[in-house]
Amino acid sequence: MWLPPALMITAVAGAVLAGFTCSVMGVFVVRMNLSSIGFAMSHAAFAGAAFGIMIGSDPLPMALLASFLVALVIGPVSHIAGLRPEIVLGFLFSLLIALGFLFLHMVPGEATSGAALRILWGSIFGVSRYEVVALGALSAVVVVFVALFNKEIAAMMFHRKLAEASGIDTQAFLTAILFMTGFSVALSLKLVGGLLVYALMINPTSTVYQFTFDFRKMVIGSPIIGMTTCLAGFWASLLWDLPVGTAIVLVSAIVLAGAIVASPKRRRG
Amino acid sequence: MNGAGRRPRPISSRSSSGETVIELRGVSTTYEGERTPALHGIDMSVRRGEFVAIVGPNGAGKTTLLEVVLGLLPLSSGRGSVLGCDLARERYAIRRRMGYVIQNFELDPLAPFLARDVVMMGFAGSLGPLRYPSVHDREAAVEALSRVGMSMMADRPAGKLSGGEFQRLLLARALATDPDIILLDEPFANLDASARASVGSVVDRVNQAGATVLMVSHDLHAIPSRCARAVLMDRGRIVLDGTMEAVLSSREIDELYGGCCH
Ligand SMILES: Nc1ncnc2c1ncn2[C@@H]1O[C@H](COP(=O)(O)OP(=O)(O)OP(=O)(O)O)[C@@H](O)[C@H]1O
Ligand SMILES: [Mg+2]
Repeated sequence: MWLPPALMITAVAGAVLAGFTCSVMGVFVVRMNLSSIGFAMSHAAFAGAAFGIMIGSDPLPMALLASFLVALVIGPVSHIAGLRPEIVLGFLFSLLIALGFLFLHMVPGEATSGAALRILWGSIFGVSRYEVVALGALSAVVVVFVALFNKEIAAMMFHRKLAEASGIDTQAFLTAILFMTGFSVALSLKLVGGLLVYALMINPTSTVYQFTFDFRKMVIGSPIIGMTTCLAGFWASLLWDLPVGTAIVLVSAIVLAGAIVASPKRRRG
Repeated sequence: MNGAGRRPRPISSRSSSGETVIELRGVSTTYEGERTPALHGIDMSVRRGEFVAIVGPNGAGKTTLLEVVLGLLPLSSGRGSVLGCDLARERYAIRRRMGYVIQNFELDPLAPFLARDVVMMGFAGSLGPLRYPSVHDREAAVEALSRVGMSMMADRPAGKLSGGEFQRLLLARALATDPDIILLDEPFANLDASARASVGSVVDRVNQAGATVLMVSHDLHAIPSRCARAVLMDRGRIVLDGTMEAVLSSREIDELYGGCCH
């Protein structure tokens, strides 16, 4: 498949930056036991984007809004109702996907309009130049955040209550992390698609986790894997004319499977 | 206040010098979603340099008491101050000057943390945001590891340490920042007799150097000899508060421990 250079550059930059932010946030989300919140947020972003398309507005702000809303609600609700994380996860996943499909179904005009398909499957045409700029800005914020607060982040990944007891305002850091996660998910949505975006967060960190006992290497290695698999998936999608999100997720899943098989960590004493 | 009807029986007056570093007055706390408070009307004061054992059966409220002192739990009534700071309003300032060894903490064996990283984490809180450990802090961390006999383990993954080694690592983390108050929750839980003696002597020395120590232990034999004061808890209240010998020979402890400790 041949693409004009400008579109090509936008698409490559989008893939690399989405791979970067999602995989860095993935390290924090997984190690701080925020997986169920991150999972719900990414599907909320899908439902929100679908809602945006239905009412004929830009899907991005709606995706952001929906994912923040879910982050805001899910903690207290599951706490008050005493629900186990798996229940919340299964319940919210199906609810949010159902809502997303409902909104897409109600899109006026052609039901299979380009925009609707884009947020479902992902598309290299989906990422606009301003979204690439936004992803770039977000990546810069993430880098600065990690550089300034790595000692707090590490302590929280180790044990949240112990971190709180040692004088870290863990609630403030959690809020910041969830905000950045929401932005990462919403901005990556149109590239890989609403059903697959969570894989961008979870696969790279799980891959690196197979190889290191050093959290610094995780924070550095995870985005390297994330960016590489995004690029490789992007390339594969051009080569075989596959939907880009599908290709990226398949590549990153294969890499993760290989890492689990090859992991030296479980063997070493 | 709830506890008004059941004051702890005073046994003897203590002759400790120094200012009061922990002061709790009529403190009660209730866990979210629970009807009965986990602590009722706790009155307690601890002076600088004291070594206090907190004893009592499972569920007595020992861990809850430590978490109140750390400002981790909101007070439903009463007042408290630690190191001259108000418990409700100056939580972070208080915590930065305390070291806490948490009870029963199991780490994922594959967790990406080396032992020396865990010791350095003590500084993450005590230094505060945007300040970074100095060379001196790093030396203090190395020193703390060697004090608990873990120098050889510095580069081991923390999740792959044995229960006792991990417990000592958490103690090193708490000691590294040179806290004014050290809170230990069952620090001997996973230790064999010789590790128990050596950790006990580490805590003794830290106390000798001026730190105030609160040690929770349901095992009365494990408490180091320097510890002169014991607080006996049961069902969220302080039942007895006095010298170690007086508490150990009291009838209350016989009732709660079924006479097993003599
Ligand atoms: N997170 C919680 N939510 C609700 N209740 C709790 C919670 N943690 C403790 N409790 C209750 O508070 C009471 C005191 O618990 P605490 O953990 O302080 O006991 P403890 O003296 O430390 O016991 P142990 O020797 O078993 O560690 C218990 O009745 C317990 O059930
Ligand atoms: Mg306890």
